[in-house]
Amino acid sequence: MRSTHEVISAFLDDDTFDPQELTNALSDPAGRALLIDLMALRRIVQPRAAAPTLDLVKPARPVWPLLAAAAAVVVALASGYLVGQRRSVPLLSDAPPATKVVQAVPFVPAGGMR
Amino acid sequence: MADPAWLFAAHHQGLFKYFCRAVGRAEAARDLTQEVFLRVSRTQIPPMVNGDATAWLFRIARNLAVDYHRSRSRRPEHVGPVEEVMQSASQDVDVAVNQALASLPALDRDVFLMREVVGLGYQEIAVACDLTPDGVRSRIHRTRLQLREQLAAPISTSRTTAMSRSGKTTTRIEP
Repeated sequence: MRSTHEVISAFLDDDTFDPQELTNALSDPAGRALLIDLMALRRIVQPRAAAPTLDLVKPARPVWPLLAAAAAVVVALASGYLVGQRRSVPLLSDAPPATKVVQAVPFVPAGGMR
Repeated sequence: MADPAWLFAAHHQGLFKYFCRAVGRAEAARDLTQEVFLRVSRTQIPPMVNGDATAWLFRIARNLAVDYHRSRSRRPEHVGPVEEVMQSASQDVDVAVNQALASLPALDRDVFLMREVVGLGYQEIAVACDLTPDGVRSRIHRTRLQLREQLAAPISTSRTTAMSRSGKTTTRIEP
């Protein structure tokens, strides 16, 4: 046989209890007051602060794909540069011979110089 | 087998609520909630069923709360007089609840919080706190009665507020 307090506690916690014992406990004004107080206690102990959001802990993304991509870009740039160096046509230092020679004559107006 | 992301989604709210009352500060509760999952992500999660995973997480949480109180007792923080004075009625209730919880033995407080704030079952609490289910039951019962005494005023106010919110009034008819 459990006490009034124990039966009401069991009722609150979804624990097993004898329905007749609960009836007896709640027929007593003190038992009813206890039930109401314990429900009020449960209410006031609930914290009011907002819980953290789900993005607090993000699954860590592996770093190696980023490193591999960066390395591939560097290798591509370096090999492109080297290939370009080897295939480039050397610059000609001498100009080709002239095919037409133009003589420059000073301009004199029709009335002569004043 | 449970993975850290699933555990976080399933339990972060409960852990945060537990820490809020166990340490009495929302900021610290957020940090400690993250710390639980950092620890989980760094360790190999043992194979277990769902209920055991909950108990396992709350065992980690309990250890963190104990460490927190230990480090705070070594360097207590000063609470300014202005912070103490400028409080609303609901903050007064919060402070009273936190003080009452802080006055309890750590194990009783944790068992009570895991039941009343988080809603864990006796078996899960027993695993998390290294107790038997009967031990959990008796501690919860004893702590409820103790807190009922200590928090009589806020409980009475809460009862009245609940009645007025529900719109129920009682009228006494005199003969």
